[in-house]
Amino acid sequence: MGLTSGLARLARRAPVPVFPVVGAGGRRAATVLPTLDGIEVVTTPRAAVVLLVVGRVTRALLAPVLALHDQLPGPRAAVQWRVDGGGDGDGDDLAGVLPGLVAAPPGDGEQLRRLMGELVSGARTSSPPALPPVEPAAWRGVGPYGQGGTGMTGGVPYGRPMPGWADDRDGLKLDQLKLRLGPAFPPFPPGLVLDLEVQGDVLQTAAVGDNPFVSWPGDPPVTVTDSVEFAAARTEAVAVADLELARARHHLVWLAGALRHHGLAARGERVLRLASGLTIGDAAAVQALARSVVRSRSLAWATDGVGVMSGDGLPAGPVARAAGDVRDARVADDAYRDLGFEPVTDAGGDARARLRQRVTEVVQALELAERCGDRRREPGGAVEGPRGTLAAGEGESTPSAALLERLPDLLAGQEWGDAVTTVVSLDLDLEEAALGAGAPVGT
Amino acid sequence: MSWSAPLPALALVGAVLTAGAGALAMLDHLVGARTAGRPVRLLAALGQPVARSALLLLTRRATTPRTDAAAWALAPAVLVGMAAAAVAAVPWDRGVAVADVDDGIVLVGAAFAVVMVGVYLHGWAANSPLPLHGGYRFVALALSYEMPLALVLIAAALPAESLSIGAIVESQAGTWNVVRQPLGLPLYLVAGAGLAFWGPLNVPDAGDLGGGTAAEVSGPARLAWAGAQGAVLTAVAVVGAGVFLGGWHGPLLPGAAWTALKALALLALLAGARHRLARVRLERFVVLAWTVLIPLALVDVFVSGALAL
Repeated sequence: MGLTSGLARLARRAPVPVFPVVGAGGRRAATVLPTLDGIEVVTTPRAAVVLLVVGRVTRALLAPVLALHDQLPGPRAAVQWRVDGGGDGDGDDLAGVLPGLVAAPPGDGEQLRRLMGELVSGARTSSPPALPPVEPAAWRGVGPYGQGGTGMTGGVPYGRPMPGWADDRDGLKLDQLKLRLGPAFPPFPPGLVLDLEVQGDVLQTAAVGDNPFVSWPGDPPVTVTDSVEFAAARTEAVAVADLELARARHHLVWLAGALRHHGLAARGERVLRLASGLTIGDAAAVQALARSVVRSRSLAWATDGVGVMSGDGLPAGPVARAAGDVRDARVADDAYRDLGFEPVTDAGGDARARLRQRVTEVVQALELAERCGDRRREPGGAVEGPRGTLAAGEGESTPSAALLERLPDLLAGQEWGDAVTTVVSLDLDLEEAALGAGAPVGT
Repeated sequence: MSWSAPLPALALVGAVLTAGAGALAMLDHLVGARTAGRPVRLLAALGQPVARSALLLLTRRATTPRTDAAAWALAPAVLVGMAAAAVAAVPWDRGVAVADVDDGIVLVGAAFAVVMVGVYLHGWAANSPLPLHGGYRFVALALSYEMPLALVLIAAALPAESLSIGAIVESQAGTWNVVRQPLGLPLYLVAGAGLAFWGPLNVPDAGDLGGGTAAEVSGPARLAWAGAQGAVLTAVAVVGAGVFLGGWHGPLLPGAAWTALKALALLALLAGARHRLARVRLERFVVLAWTVLIPLALVDVFVSGALAL
């Protein structure tokens, strides 16, 4: 007893290990998490004490969230940051399935620390398992070894695919493993599900799974909640300076995630701090950051030649501009006409070019924000969002949807690490991709 | 009482590895806070490793179906055991060593080679795809850092005309190896980071595998694994201090203090590298190792050998 309470007193001073799952509408609220005092974002639920659900859990996210919850070793707590105020129609079924779920306003780090203190001291009981302790699928006693395949391979005992057997790229036969990543795989954008066939370190095939943000009949409609300023600019007048600051902030948040993926979480945290309080006066800090990122040899080495996309058929936006395509809706935009705006482009179309492109666009956005004064952009016409051109009308294909379609071909044949770098470099938003998509098959 | 009597020897090596792992965690916390733009608080940094360890001790140990339980428990023990063997062979002061055996440098090389088995076991035992993938990644990387590691250690033994680490330190009374073999220490540190899967060379436990071999580990087992990694890095730093930085040689302070300070300096360098350098791509690093690092290590051996003749 003495030992446990002594350990509990010490443990309270440790940062709270949090595994975040971002649901509908939660993407922006989740960005502050790594900068909160005494919070540590971890890469696996096994290392977490708090499962933090940010936003609404859609129907397709419910089962993965429950499975993740049960993977936290305990003592554990589940917390939901409600971004829509939690009123009727904005809620979800999570509280009904997780009895100990704590609802909280977004950004409350103090409460997460208090929860962990209560958990380790025993004042609060650990959240009970959400799923029954049974195998998700039966063992199938088929085949010579009973696993349902042939020989010693194949089959899906207990619902888990055994390695198969397939040709590799050198004409040999090697084990092939099927696995699913997502919808809360930390380096990926929230909601992205990939079904992979892997041989060693090589992705043989990659298929994009169902988008969990596509609404089913009776569900709240999908809305873009990440780059809201740009979606709003289609229907209302906004200050150009606000748009450009939002663009700079968006790319900095992306950069923080990319740095984290490349093993530089602390630098990413610094970038997030810069992004959260970004003003026109930060131009010097932003330029210094851009220089250090562009000049970093190790980042160049990690991204050079990875995920090359040529300009043909790419949606207009930073990904296409990184491949030398000059299309940018701001060129034809009245609000930008006499600002001397010229799109910046890069060459190569690889992950390194996309990294350079976005930091260059951050610097450019701050310059524009400084020069444009209090000029306003009138509604109408296409808006250049941070992920690409948002068409004037609703229901048209979005940049994220167009890039998502190209993902399987792009990832096939890549090494695992390069494939993850490629996904990160595209800055996908699954909510944006869900706009205009029909209801999932089978509804 | 001799340092090489079993109980004092175990206590001393255990204390060195624990202190090294703790110091590394503090240095890492300090460098991380500075890099992230958080307030740098020295006292908080001192308490961090203890607080984190306490939390992990209070966390349950989760398990996956049909694990290889014995291998899972053995993996961190393999790393700590090999780190202990390497640290034991390094004398702290003239004649003060747990086991300054005649072929100490061979023992160190052998102990470092076995680390690969521990990391692979850690990935294998969890019976889960991402940890297994991490284990295989480490095996794919291993030869690329082990070759330069072995070569620079051999080169350091040439001027001493002995394989004993005590003799290697003694031979640096005039000029340290870091000066007369300028290729040695940089190559050794790259290889050491690979060996301890640290920072830019953390390929097996990388975030792009959701934590790799440690993706399924929780609670006390997670603490054991973090401690094992710290122990391996400590061994890398202590061996590096003796073999390249002149060990106990230095003015004013007692010899053991110099060895400890030099090892701490190497740990600080490794902690800094983790927050400055992006993770390498596996294939690119293997190509670099075979086309640049290994040839440079061979040059190091040939030049050191020619000078020693």
